[in-house]
Amino acid sequence: MKRVGKPVFFIVFVVILFLTYTSVFGIYSENGDLTVTHIKGINDIRWGIDIKGGVEAVFAPDKGIDATEEQMQSVKSIIDLRLVNQNVTDYEIYPDYTNDRITVRFPWKSDEENYDPGEAIKELASTAQLVFREGTSQDGTELLTGKEVKSASARFTQANANSPSQYVISLEFTDEGKKKFADATTNNVGKQISIWMDDTMISAPKVNEPITDGNAIISSDANPFTAESATDLANKINAGALPFSLTIESYGTISPSLGTYALEAMGYAAIAALCFIFLFMCIMYRLPGFVAFIALMGQLSLSLMAVSGYFTVFPSFTMTIPGIAGMILSIGMGVDANIITAERIKDELWTGKTLDGCINNGTKSSLSAIIDGNITIIIVAVILILVFGPANIFSALFGVSTTGLIYAFGYTLLVGVISNFIMGVWASRTMLRSISGLKFLRNKRLYGGKKKS
Amino acid sequence: MRQKFHIDFIKNSKIYFCISILLMLAALIVNIFVIPTRVDIQFTGGTIIKYSYSGKLTEKQISDVAQKATKDTITFTYAENLASSDSNSHLVSLQFMGNKAITVDEQDEVTKALTDAFPKNTFKVEQSTVVDASKGANFFFKCLAAVILAAVLIIAYIGIRFKKIGGVSAGVMAIVALVHDLIIVYFTFAVFNMSLNDNFIAVVLMVLGYSVNDTIVIYDRIRENRRKMGPKATTAEVTNASINQCFPRTIATSITTLAAIGSVLVVSLIYNIDSIISFALPMMIGLVSGCYSSICIAAPLWVMWKNHSDKKKAEKNKKEKEAKSEKKAKKKSAKKPAENAVTKKETKSSKKKPEPEVQEEEEEEEEEEETEETEETEETETAEEEKNSEETAAETED
Repeated sequence: MKRVGKPVFFIVFVVILFLTYTSVFGIYSENGDLTVTHIKGINDIRWGIDIKGGVEAVFAPDKGIDATEEQMQSVKSIIDLRLVNQNVTDYEIYPDYTNDRITVRFPWKSDEENYDPGEAIKELASTAQLVFREGTSQDGTELLTGKEVKSASARFTQANANSPSQYVISLEFTDEGKKKFADATTNNVGKQISIWMDDTMISAPKVNEPITDGNAIISSDANPFTAESATDLANKINAGALPFSLTIESYGTISPSLGTYALEAMGYAAIAALCFIFLFMCIMYRLPGFVAFIALMGQLSLSLMAVSGYFTVFPSFTMTIPGIAGMILSIGMGVDANIITAERIKDELWTGKTLDGCINNGTKSSLSAIIDGNITIIIVAVILILVFGPANIFSALFGVSTTGLIYAFGYTLLVGVISNFIMGVWASRTMLRSISGLKFLRNKRLYGGKKKS
Repeated sequence: MRQKFHIDFIKNSKIYFCISILLMLAALIVNIFVIPTRVDIQFTGGTIIKYSYSGKLTEKQISDVAQKATKDTITFTYAENLASSDSNSHLVSLQFMGNKAITVDEQDEVTKALTDAFPKNTFKVEQSTVVDASKGANFFFKCLAAVILAAVLIIAYIGIRFKKIGGVSAGVMAIVALVHDLIIVYFTFAVFNMSLNDNFIAVVLMVLGYSVNDTIVIYDRIRENRRKMGPKATTAEVTNASINQCFPRTIATSITTLAAIGSVLVVSLIYNIDSIISFALPMMIGLVSGCYSSICIAAPLWVMWKNHSDKKKAEKNKKEKEAKSEKKAKKKSAKKPAENAVTKKETKSSKKKPEPEVQEEEEEEEEEEETEETEETEETETAEEEKNSEETAAETED
């Protein structure tokens, strides 16, 4: 048997303690009045709308209208704009181009007591009002509206014969728009005209020369467009010219009081489950049981890290109540690996072999059963993620799901299984081999052997 | 060998079958005559609005006002609002009939009617769910596709895994056990009057995954014990021994898993969180069923199947032998592969049992046929295992 050094147990133990502490409480420092987050803890987890309270809505074009992908992009960009205007920044938006649906999910604004989610949804769905005005103030004379814009698109081209190529927004007007725009540009040479979406000014180009052929280009030398910003502006202008209005197909709202209450409940459930498993494992399996519990803490902290964005390389995850349930469930199933191993070690001990040999054989013979037990769970977790996740292979067939709450269940389940392999299998075995090197812990009874060995 | 349990699972199998069948029948009767299955508006489309309000109001007062504000028929459900610190806070859920997705304006009208009629009772929308029927159908088919995909993958996995450990028959039994568990999960939803929703799908998928692995662990042991216990042990004996050896692990794992999901259930019962109750309760029952079905359904059924096919084999074998001996008299050439296998087996058993008794010979031959069958599928595999088994046997003797 490969001997593992005695200090290894303490090193792994301390590492797990550290991970557990930091993943739960995080690490912060005070910098004047600002609290700087170094490592994200439980409090930094982004809770889903079922916990924080919030709104979910699915928008679709009017019945019977088959929108193009560009049109749907315009719809998305206008919803983006409106959410930002409402001061909602923590929102999720999932366009589904195959089925012409846009799902929006955003949390309740914490500072507003009497927030009316219905009003917010209606506002998002309202028809975009695109207006070209004289000057840069909202009271400027209306020059033309979105209806008179045929299309807008982003291009990479030379604005003038002499300038280098850059991203520009090219506008094409309808016949009526062509006339109006010709007048407007003739009257405003050298001045700015502004483009307004609802109550927001999205662009204020300066008119260089009269444009009479109905094709205009917006370019910017001082602050050049990127591919992204040009497309975004083009989308917004197109939104003003959409030939259809949006309907609210499905929506849901949850008040924050129900959610926070549920979160508290799940916290108690997690603590109760942990306490029970600790007692059960220590009584049933003694030393291996205790080691298993340490590993379980490690597993739990790894799961938390995967959710909270502990490592900045992994983005944080929106956690819902089913997600927490999945995490608690994976605690219960996680010790299975340790139970199988501990049972095998017990079996081996009863045949009267040496302790080291038993641990060695026990860990070896149990691995295939552990893998077996986890493969089917992995299959299921992956399917849950695929089906209820925001965008995946199924969305091509069935559209983006409205109820993404179960998605988190699949995610935490999968993360639980993976961290179980790291902690419940690898770390706990290393710890067990190391700790069994300590003299006072070499009594076979501690491993579930017979009274007299 | 340490063995804590000696339960004859095979002998009692009829009792287990009866328990399962009776339970399902009872649930079916309840389902048909008392509590019909409800499908959540997530799938059918529809509207549910949940209001909280404070103070005392009779149920009739509320329903009259709300009903007047809309043309659609509404069903009302009342509950205490435990989430509020105000002990006099209540919840009322309004479900609009006809699976109609109402508009925001229609919802506002109902809310306005309620607040106007009872200005002191602070009516507030706690939760509203409005699903368009086409969206619901879409979601339903997506879930269905997920379950089918999961089932296909898991059956494929069973296929791969059981090729090694029990053959097609064991794989079929594992699937029977799976179906058993899914039926139980379905009836849990029906009998507890919980509507079929995304929680149902999650539980179904979870139980699919969980149930199989108990079954696999047991068949894995059966394979191991088949080698250890020698050809003399009957299928029933081997199976019984295997289940009993796996029993501590199965129980311990089930206890920790159930404790985890059970604490979620208890807490959500105390706190009255519907969405989690309809997740945790069926999950618990599904896990228990998964554990029960692999021990009490899949394994005994497999033994019955095996015994049945062995009997047939034996009869066929007898006839064949008679035919063979007749043929042998005429021609010397017999079926080659069969002969090979028999001779190989004979040398083996003679090794293990130096003095074979004449009386047992008939019985033994039956046994041989049975092991032979599995050998035929992957002869090299078993040959290797036999080597291993001899090695391990030698080890334990030392």
